[in-house]
Amino acid sequence: MLPSHADKQLLLDADDLSVSFGAEQVLQHVSMCVHRGEFIGLIGPNGAGKTTLLKALLGLLRPQHGTVKKQKGMVVGYIPQRGSQAVTAVPINVMEVVLLGAHGNRTSANDALQAVRMADMARKRFADLSGGQQQRVMIAQALASQPDILFLDEPTTGIDEHSQAAFYTILHELQERGIAIVMVSHDVDTVLTLVTRVICLNGSIVYDGAPEHFESDKHLPDMYKKQHMLLHHHHGHAAGGAPDA
Amino acid sequence: MLDIFQYGFMVRALLAGLLLAVTVPVLGSFLVARRYSLISDSLAHVSLAGVGLGLVFGATPVLVAAPVTIGGAILLEWLRQNRQISGETSLAILMSGGLAIAVVLANLAHGMRTDFTTYLFGSIATTARADVWVLAAAAVVVVSFVGLRYRALLHIAFDEPGARIAGHRVSLLNYVLAGLTALVVVLSLRIVGGLLISALLVIPVVTAGQFARSFRQTMMTAIGIAALAVIAGLVLAFYAGIAAGGAIVLVCLALLCIAMFFKK
Repeated sequence: MLPSHADKQLLLDADDLSVSFGAEQVLQHVSMCVHRGEFIGLIGPNGAGKTTLLKALLGLLRPQHGTVKKQKGMVVGYIPQRGSQAVTAVPINVMEVVLLGAHGNRTSANDALQAVRMADMARKRFADLSGGQQQRVMIAQALASQPDILFLDEPTTGIDEHSQAAFYTILHELQERGIAIVMVSHDVDTVLTLVTRVICLNGSIVYDGAPEHFESDKHLPDMYKKQHMLLHHHHGHAAGGAPDA
Repeated sequence: MLDIFQYGFMVRALLAGLLLAVTVPVLGSFLVARRYSLISDSLAHVSLAGVGLGLVFGATPVLVAAPVTIGGAILLEWLRQNRQISGETSLAILMSGGLAIAVVLANLAHGMRTDFTTYLFGSIATTARADVWVLAAAAVVVVSFVGLRYRALLHIAFDEPGARIAGHRVSLLNYVLAGLTALVVVLSLRIVGGLLISALLVIPVVTAGQFARSFRQTMMTAIGIAALAVIAGLVLAFYAGIAAGGAIVLVCLALLCIAMFFKK
């Protein structure tokens, strides 16, 4: 069931993570690892702890139990949910955003902008860009830091389908360069077509394996299967250009 | 042409005002970007409590207000970082608490009312040579700090979790930024006054933001706008016989209105 990682370099190893907020246990005994070049889709129903797991892996949140080991010197890129950046109060332009990741190196910043096909937008104000363009700039920022792993939290929420397709193409190119990608998403159908590995979370890990076996997995709890069917149904209707809310 | 600058006190007022015009928008750009600009108002009220303490105990008010305000800034930042109380709630609590203490202390300091009013509304014309030197030192410290940590501060303002992941010392830098804001607020008390300082911190940045194309351009333009407001405000105050602090802020507001009009 589990894909073989014997030939891939281990970048991150999370062991037995448990996180609770007050009395609410959000993550229970979650263990997962990330290898170079993997594209992991982290899915699960609402409230499953996807963002919490991402924060724990990133070190933004300290788990009550368990450890996260990262390969020494490893660089992590992170693309938060859209709208979490301060963009309206004071203008910041595209080049300035990317330079934050590039440690001030203009050549790296330009290369990163070219990789996401946004080089001609360098002087534009970040706030004036569309949602899809903003996410590409955030990728460029992460890319400019030359990351080993790129974490994305619901990166395409509120972005039209055409821009989503362009965005996923860029992610594929990054994966081909050997960058590991961990993407939290509620869009199960798209995730299954994109990734090399699916991790399905519902407080604890209920599936970790190849995307092609996800729907036929006997061990996938019925409870999540039902929710998955609902999501599947919902996205079937949503397809047609309307942005995901 | 401007014979008002034949007077020593006006030259000192101009120098003090221009030093503030450089220092305040530099800090203000980051605070406004983080939607945290009200911190200056809260700290100004805390500093008034410090002034009151100084007046009651017969000590130099600014020397008492400085540690009290910096302490207030550290407390605010601690509350924000540890999420004990939400950011805006802690700002409101400190603002009203500081003012309440200031009012009570002002009552206790009988006969000091005139002095206290100076700190509420400023009295730039009474700027002493020593005030100018202290402001110059503060300007050097603030501009050096921002110059050395510009990228980290911008990253924090734009995306705080991202800055943390990128390895910046977010918590420490936030404490230093809050502490320097407290210092500048205290030093501005006698110039523009505790009730007007946040205007100088916010309005030039917002005005610059109407047409600037980048963060750096916003900061530089805001300095220019603040300097223009200081010069015009002082001239206006001198010839019209009105309070300089108020005149400077009114010029800032007029420039904001003009910028918003032309943006449309």
